[in-house]
Amino acid sequence: MFNKIIKLGQKKFNKSDQHHQDNNNNNNNTSTNTVVRGSRTTTPAPSSVSNGESQTTAQSPSQTPNHPMFTTTPILEVLPLLKDVSSSDRPLLFMKKAHMCSCHCDFSDTLIMPREKEIKRQTLLELVDFLHSSSGKVNETMQSELIRMVSANIFRCLPPAYHENTGAPPEGNDPEEEEPYLEPWWPHLQLVYELLLRYVVSSEIEPKTAKKFINHTFVSRLLDLFDSEDPREREYLKTVLHRIYGKFIFHRPFIRCSIYNIFYKFLYETERCIGIGELLEILGSVINGFTVPMREEHRLYLVKAILPLHKSKGISIYHQQLAYCVTQFVEKDYKLADTVIRGLLKFWPLTNCQKEVLFLGELEEVLDATEPSEFQQCVVPLFTQIGKCLNSAHFQVAERALFLWNNEHIVGLIAQNKDVIFPIIFEALERNMKGHWNQAVHGLSENVRRMFLEMDTELFEECEKQYLENEAKACELLEQRELTWKRLEEAASLAAN
Amino acid sequence: MAMVDEPLYPIAVLIDELKNDDIQLRLNSIRRLSTIARALGEERTRKELIPFLSENSDDDDEVLLAMAEELGVFIPFVGGIEFAHVLLPPLESLCTVEETCVREKAVESLCKIGSQMKENDLVESFVPLVKRLAGGEWFAARVSACGIFHVAYQGCTDVLKTELRATYSQLCKDDMPMVRRAAASNLGKFATTVESTFLIAEIMTMFDDLTKDDQDSVRLLAVEGCAALGKLLEPQDCVARILPVIVNFSQDKSWRVRYMVANQLYELCEAVGPDCTRTDLVPAYVRLLRDNEAEVRIAAAGKVTKFCRLLNPELAIQHILPCVKELSSDSSQHVRSALASVIMGMAPILGKDSTIEHLLPIFLSLLKDEFPDVRLNIISKLDQVNQVIGIDLLSQSLLPAIVELAEDRHWRVRLAIIEYVPLLASQLGIGFFDDKLGALCMQWLQDKVYSIREAAANNLKRLAEEFGPEWAMQHLVPQVLDMVNNPHYLHRMMVLRAISLMAPVMGSEITCSKFLPVVVEASKDRVPNIKFNVAKLLQSLIPIVDQSVVDKTIRQCLVDLSEDPDVDVRYFANQALNSIDGSTAAQS
Repeated sequence: MFNKIIKLGQKKFNKSDQHHQDNNNNNNNTSTNTVVRGSRTTTPAPSSVSNGESQTTAQSPSQTPNHPMFTTTPILEVLPLLKDVSSSDRPLLFMKKAHMCSCHCDFSDTLIMPREKEIKRQTLLELVDFLHSSSGKVNETMQSELIRMVSANIFRCLPPAYHENTGAPPEGNDPEEEEPYLEPWWPHLQLVYELLLRYVVSSEIEPKTAKKFINHTFVSRLLDLFDSEDPREREYLKTVLHRIYGKFIFHRPFIRCSIYNIFYKFLYETERCIGIGELLEILGSVINGFTVPMREEHRLYLVKAILPLHKSKGISIYHQQLAYCVTQFVEKDYKLADTVIRGLLKFWPLTNCQKEVLFLGELEEVLDATEPSEFQQCVVPLFTQIGKCLNSAHFQVAERALFLWNNEHIVGLIAQNKDVIFPIIFEALERNMKGHWNQAVHGLSENVRRMFLEMDTELFEECEKQYLENEAKACELLEQRELTWKRLEEAASLAAN
Repeated sequence: MAMVDEPLYPIAVLIDELKNDDIQLRLNSIRRLSTIARALGEERTRKELIPFLSENSDDDDEVLLAMAEELGVFIPFVGGIEFAHVLLPPLESLCTVEETCVREKAVESLCKIGSQMKENDLVESFVPLVKRLAGGEWFAARVSACGIFHVAYQGCTDVLKTELRATYSQLCKDDMPMVRRAAASNLGKFATTVESTFLIAEIMTMFDDLTKDDQDSVRLLAVEGCAALGKLLEPQDCVARILPVIVNFSQDKSWRVRYMVANQLYELCEAVGPDCTRTDLVPAYVRLLRDNEAEVRIAAAGKVTKFCRLLNPELAIQHILPCVKELSSDSSQHVRSALASVIMGMAPILGKDSTIEHLLPIFLSLLKDEFPDVRLNIISKLDQVNQVIGIDLLSQSLLPAIVELAEDRHWRVRLAIIEYVPLLASQLGIGFFDDKLGALCMQWLQDKVYSIREAAANNLKRLAEEFGPEWAMQHLVPQVLDMVNNPHYLHRMMVLRAISLMAPVMGSEITCSKFLPVVVEASKDRVPNIKFNVAKLLQSLIPIVDQSVVDKTIRQCLVDLSEDPDVDVRYFANQALNSIDGSTAAQS
């Protein structure tokens, strides 16, 4: 009876493997897509001879057990439980089970091989328990087979992302609003990730031995997976990578470096990576662990890799994590405030108001941790920008900027530098009073103006005078500029003759 | 004014402007760099302006981008080619900027300048610059370096050439994947300048390394270079070195790599020659056509005609055609659409008999596809099939499908069909057109989508041009004029539109005898929109008809309209009257 089911299942599997011509009766776009995606993930068959496979074996030749059992393609079958066999038989059975789990099941249809799927699930669960209970030691060859199985399962070429899909409508859609693609075989994948996590955190596993398997190649392939659209997978990846970072101290520089490389690729080449937020989350806790005084290397990467992340137009997806990283830096080393603030100013959005509101929020967090000495260094460019925000035609931006004056620490900093700040801000406030369309902005501007007046009446009047003078001169300046260029033009044509 | 007498310091003006807070002003002043340079003269441009710019690379990316672009065409302002080297330092520092577009523009400008430089100057200043960038500490410099090797390599000494090749091979092994990607994507360009002896020995080694890279993204770019390299090599070397790689790549586990292969494969076939194409590349291509990933099949399907063009018809029929049949009922509409856009091109390759036997059924099934893009793609290339199988067969087998599509519920499909009607008409000839498509042409004039009605009116004009006024008099004009009593004012308006388009084609006589009475009648319509369109139409008829007709009929009609209660009607009537007066004034 069982054999019959297997045969039936395999028959079906092969059929869908061959191609999916028979799915022709799809009526709409979406259903076609899901079918194609489904069958893609389930059919790794034609590529088994390919590059990737040969790569993995090439990297770990010594780890291949020479037992004939491991050279054949695994078949999912019921094996005795690990706890039921003698401890001497356990390693071999463990490896057999691990090897068995390296084969894939077709999840495009629940009717295909339900029994095999269940066997794989049960086996994976048993392996998870085995690692967890540490009821038996996991020797080197067992680890090798285990990680090989994990690799065979999780390392795969991700399906076309939404933007790569020809069927997707062209640009202009918000990645946040798209339904994420969920891996159909998550029931298995999750257990494999769980197994990997157990392995990494297990106190039984020595980093010295494990680093043969959790090597640079393994880590960088793990990082590639952060592009997965499935949020559940990214969540696991985040935890696993974080634990690897914690346990394998010698991998730390490599992991940091690889993360920064992903950022560069995102920033300067593709502008796409779904997992930036998760990577920043890991980085946030990594930064938290930096020793003070901070090494020059870390400061460099702050400037070169982390601050530029403010540039992307898709920042809203990872802004929270980014802001956390950035404030971590300032809280660790207050001297970095100037660097961070200048970085924010460099990437300040010109037209994107939602982004501007995010920036102002982050700025407040950073300023909260800023000391007067650093504040002083960047006060002029900073308040020139804030002045522009105050005058923004988008009321949320103007409002958010005005809220900075609700923060006691910031008001304290402003008071100390009022001689510089008043003249810059005065014009912006004055302009808002004269003609901002939004009533709330009007009121808030008036409050800030009154605050200035109360702080230093004399300075306030001086600014007022200056403002009126500038106002009168503005036109003249414009004319003069045009005249200068005209004269240059003449001089140029004269020189040419 | 007193200011005019003040001395003028062009550099000071620029420095001043570049300090301004307003980025637009800074941008403007960079855009006028050439003015400043001309005012300064060549020598002071070299000695003052350029050094100033070299130091001023800390501005907003937008300003830097403008600077990188301006410097690319600055050779005349520094005193010609022999002084071109002074432009290198500012561009060198722009090459190290992180922002990709600034870097790329700087590289582009450097290539522009370098390719004009004399050999001596190249050795003295350009090659050292390449070496400095290639050894740069930050990845931006090294990425930029990859893009200018091909300029430096030409025309420098053998010793330097050896050194440059060694440096490039270092870049191919760089720690940063960004740099390796840049090296991979520029390898083909660099290889075109390298002597053939070193191609095999050195460039191919670099290529091999890149194709084995850990990172998918690097391998991907290496495939992209495959075809370019293949064309540089002797056929036998190409077979030995590139072919195995590409066959291997066509089975890569990453669909992105396979996708790239699908896009490049036919070019590679040209490089390896027919024999290897038959034995190695046809199987690879067939695999790609049957790939599991729809994106790969889309890419492969889109190249099917180009690929078949390289094969002889028997091979195409034997190997490719079965796949094409499968693809025509692929589960992904985009695969079918890609196939539909090229498949008509296979007709001339296969010849008449095979087309009828094998392709026609596929055409027909694609024409009935549920997805409008697929149907459209087929229709747009009908003329190619016509040339092969002849009009009779085409009209028998394909026309019913086309007529069906003329009433498609997607207006874009209808629009496309209308746009092909004149072409069809010219292919099918008068005889066939009369009974089938004529009625449709009139029906479109009353479509509920404006674009269709507009296209329909245009179509009538083109038909009149194609078949001549006499035919149009019989088959188009009466039907159009019938519509003037349509209760819907938008449809009445379409009559006016059709008249305005057809009148120039039909000529003065028909316009006066047939169109004008209808138009005059329409001027008494109750809808103002009709009336002012009459005014506009009459204005456009003035140059077509005789002066006497203008004076007798048109003027009177317009005068009546100019007293209409509606302000718009009066406005357009007066406009038309003015233009009558204008034209008579010009004649006298």
